[in-house]
Amino acid sequence: MTNHDASLDHDALAADLRAQDNTTVFGFWMYLMNDFVLFASLFAVYVVLRGNTFGGPGGEIFSMPLSLSESLILLTSSFTYGLSLLAARHDDKRRVLFWLTVTFVLGALFALLEVSEFMRLISDGNGPAQSAFLSSYFTLVGTHGLHILGGLIWMGALFAVIARRGLTRFTLRKLLLLGLFWHFLDLVWIFIFAIVYLSAFI
Amino acid sequence: MSTNTYFEQIGAWPASHGLTRSYIWGYALSLILTVVSYEAVVHHVAPRSALVVILLLLAGVQFIVQLVFFLHLGRETVSRERLIVLWCALLIVLIVVAGSLWIMFSLGGRMAPSTAQMEHYMNNEQGI
Repeated sequence: MTNHDASLDHDALAADLRAQDNTTVFGFWMYLMNDFVLFASLFAVYVVLRGNTFGGPGGEIFSMPLSLSESLILLTSSFTYGLSLLAARHDDKRRVLFWLTVTFVLGALFALLEVSEFMRLISDGNGPAQSAFLSSYFTLVGTHGLHILGGLIWMGALFAVIARRGLTRFTLRKLLLLGLFWHFLDLVWIFIFAIVYLSAFI
Repeated sequence: MSTNTYFEQIGAWPASHGLTRSYIWGYALSLILTVVSYEAVVHHVAPRSALVVILLLLAGVQFIVQLVFFLHLGRETVSRERLIVLWCALLIVLIVVAGSLWIMFSLGGRMAPSTAQMEHYMNNEQGI
């Protein structure tokens, strides 16, 4: 009976383990596609309702420089996560943890900027209950923000697991899945940046 | 202990040596596309409708860039099923988004009159 443990002491994974992990990655990808459709419908709602400002201000309440900063920060965090995966490929646990930390810091910075923007909007009287435009904006960008938050929690937990257990088959798989999730969130943000923020200033 | 072929073995990464370059290219291209979109809006380089199309095109290109360079989709030896599922999801998204926008923006005049409008019509034009 082959020893199906977590280590990678043999150079080639057994075929059934490969198939198993391939399936896990595919399953997670299915979840991301589902999320993609969810975000697409939130986008559709936003585009339909962004003219319904109920007499209040429209897209001029957004800050262009802030949204650009957020975009660049999130994009960079997606890149640094890739560096973490590359380090995992070289079995360099310390570098993996280093780039994971950098990604976390950038992601947390993004989340903080977003929260501060929401708080500014709300205190200016442009909260999510004021108009259909604002409701759909807060729902779309807020849903993305909640995903980011979940990703950050996952990243913290993964850091702890890798720090304790090292780079095993299981932690590599988890690293890959969080990578898919994190890259996906940047993909969604590309469209938020274009359709919500840039379009507001045309 | 060999971790360096795990991602390839499970079909998540292509079996190639230029992967650092892949990430650097993906990052550089995405940066350029993001900044170009931003500058295009700030400097208002085209009238409104053209600008919207330009923005969506730039966003679409960046989407593909990140799919290929960060997520390695479509590369050889990477599991093909994920790409197929992505096309299915894109089809659903196209139908949902295009359909919703088409319907919602062609509602003008196709709705039943409101109570006030109905009363006005009945009183003033039908003499009720």
